[in-house]
Amino acid sequence: MTRFLTRHSWSLGLFAILVILLVATRIIQPNFGASGLDSLARAALPFAFATIGMGIVVIAGGIDLSIASIMAVAGVIAALLMQQMGDASAGLVVLIVLLAGVAMGAINGLLIVLTRVPDIVVTLAMLFVWEGVALLILNAPGGTAAPWLRALVVGGVTIPGLPPELTAWLPRAFVVLVAFTLIIWLPLRRSKLGLSIYAIGSDQNAAFRSGVPIGMTRVAAYAFAGLFAALGGLSITLSTGIGEPIAGPYLLASVAAVVLGGISLTGGRGGLLGPIIAVFILRTLRLDLTLLSVDPNVTTIIEGIIMVAVVMIGGLLAMRGPR
Amino acid sequence: MNKLLVTASAVSIFVGLGGIAAAQEYTIGVSNTVQGNGWREEMICAIKAQALDSGLVSSLNIAHRNTDAAGQLEDIRNLIQAGVDAIVVNPANPEGINAAVKEATDAGIIVVAVDQAVTEPSAYVLSNNQEEYGYLGAKWLFEQIGGEGSVVYMRGAAGASADDDRDKGFKRALAEYPGVSVAQEVFTGWQQDQGKQQILDYLATGIPFDGVWTSGIDNVIVDAFVESDAPLVPIVGADNAGFVGQLASVDGLVGAAVTNPGSIGGAGVTLALQILEGNAPAEKTVLVAPELWDNVSDEGKAKIAEAQNPNLDPEWPVSVSIPDFTTYTTEEIIACKGPGE
Repeated sequence: MTRFLTRHSWSLGLFAILVILLVATRIIQPNFGASGLDSLARAALPFAFATIGMGIVVIAGGIDLSIASIMAVAGVIAALLMQQMGDASAGLVVLIVLLAGVAMGAINGLLIVLTRVPDIVVTLAMLFVWEGVALLILNAPGGTAAPWLRALVVGGVTIPGLPPELTAWLPRAFVVLVAFTLIIWLPLRRSKLGLSIYAIGSDQNAAFRSGVPIGMTRVAAYAFAGLFAALGGLSITLSTGIGEPIAGPYLLASVAAVVLGGISLTGGRGGLLGPIIAVFILRTLRLDLTLLSVDPNVTTIIEGIIMVAVVMIGGLLAMRGPR
Repeated sequence: MNKLLVTASAVSIFVGLGGIAAAQEYTIGVSNTVQGNGWREEMICAIKAQALDSGLVSSLNIAHRNTDAAGQLEDIRNLIQAGVDAIVVNPANPEGINAAVKEATDAGIIVVAVDQAVTEPSAYVLSNNQEEYGYLGAKWLFEQIGGEGSVVYMRGAAGASADDDRDKGFKRALAEYPGVSVAQEVFTGWQQDQGKQQILDYLATGIPFDGVWTSGIDNVIVDAFVESDAPLVPIVGADNAGFVGQLASVDGLVGAAVTNPGSIGGAGVTLALQILEGNAPAEKTVLVAPELWDNVSDEGKAKIAEAQNPNLDPEWPVSVSIPDFTTYTTEEIIACKGPGE
């Protein structure tokens, strides 16, 4: 138990902040309830997927500046294909989009490994490349999303046999997020590949000498980032019902959530639970600032200050606490 | 007895508060997805000034940041959570925010889309006609160069729906003038510095062209010609204060400003309040037609002279009010103060 507590102390601290924020939300707006949680979860979905993708490459010691552009490409592919192939084939479209995400991520990784140019330079260049690709596919917002797929992330959970009051507060969007994270990340983390990802992020030379295939691991980490970016792009298309070729503000938001979530930017340290909670903290903060009708130009300043403060306090506590 | 006293005083306080509150009843939410652009800032200030001037708005809840349609869905849902009476929204695109708009109108909230339309039928739309905007300016430009020659086509932001609509208008005019071709087509991203760099590049490389159509990044284009001593060609811009000033003052500049009032935000507040007060318009969509002011015709010259206002930020449209809709003064919109500020 103590081991669990110390291992997850950062995530637990973040969770406490989230609970405080949610209680504050309820005090500011007494009507805040199931529909509020639902809209919060739906808003968080693309941010959370972007953050998970970014988290994986940062753990591997890299960074993916092209993540928001990959999301845009995935989003427009999804919207265009669903329009052309019809609602019935939407399942197939999802599969194609996820594969495209993996391919885009793998291309990023291959370029980094083959050219030996630093991650930050390659992915910065690829940011523009994927941005152009998205605009080539769809030069203005368009396409459609299958209604049955869209309904998957709207509203509360209903389980047959259980009274709806019991589960209705739990947003489906949240369940989708948890499900994909568990299905993909948990087995990965426990596998040899997962260990290798941590190893190359922590100390590349040591990993190399222990026989970890550095290049292949790095390509795999970027491919997984591409996969989650595709999920993020898909979730945007599902929430808006169209594809948007211009990337949203997901790059900086994902880096912020990764840092706030306790992943070390130098690689090799941290998990994905903290960053996901961090995403919800940042979304709830935005909600509260809107509810309080704070001057919009001040809102971003407050968001930034809170982020710096949390990371600094966390850093201080980590320095003082047992290692 | 005590209980009665408490009740009585509570009632009197309630009635007293009611008396004050009767004048300022509504809270209005605002959602906008482009921050730091002169046009959008004027729109926000128009919303604030109109809300204050109407005397019917107790507070404004403004969600104003750079984001995409998904972010705007979040903002609108946050405004629903805040329990506003009406939402004035400048949509990121016509279809992407329909889901949240529907949720808002289902919750009894009046939604007015300004500047660009939304396709959700439960919303009211008060929009500048962007296709007409593109057509009007392009037609004037092609006419001006005698229906022969090539033009530089400086668009807005790639993938933005307003840019897409203007492009339709531009292409419609282009089809009417077979002698005109596009020498260069480029996206300024509606960024002043980017647009200026692009035109400087064209001037430096000496690519021949006979006119420039801009999507509102206009005064820096004129600056670039003047600074690099290049012979001026006809230029089409928007009714931004800086460009309208140049139309009156720069020697040898032949140009036209197409109006695209940012004050449409203030008009949106008026429409929302009218609906809340029970006076809904017969049509759910009201299109504001653009006007063209050139510095060639007498009529255009008069309009340009009338519109001069040195107090405005050069990036702000000079059409700071919309007749029949906005009631604030020019000083009030420049002050940019909303209720409770």
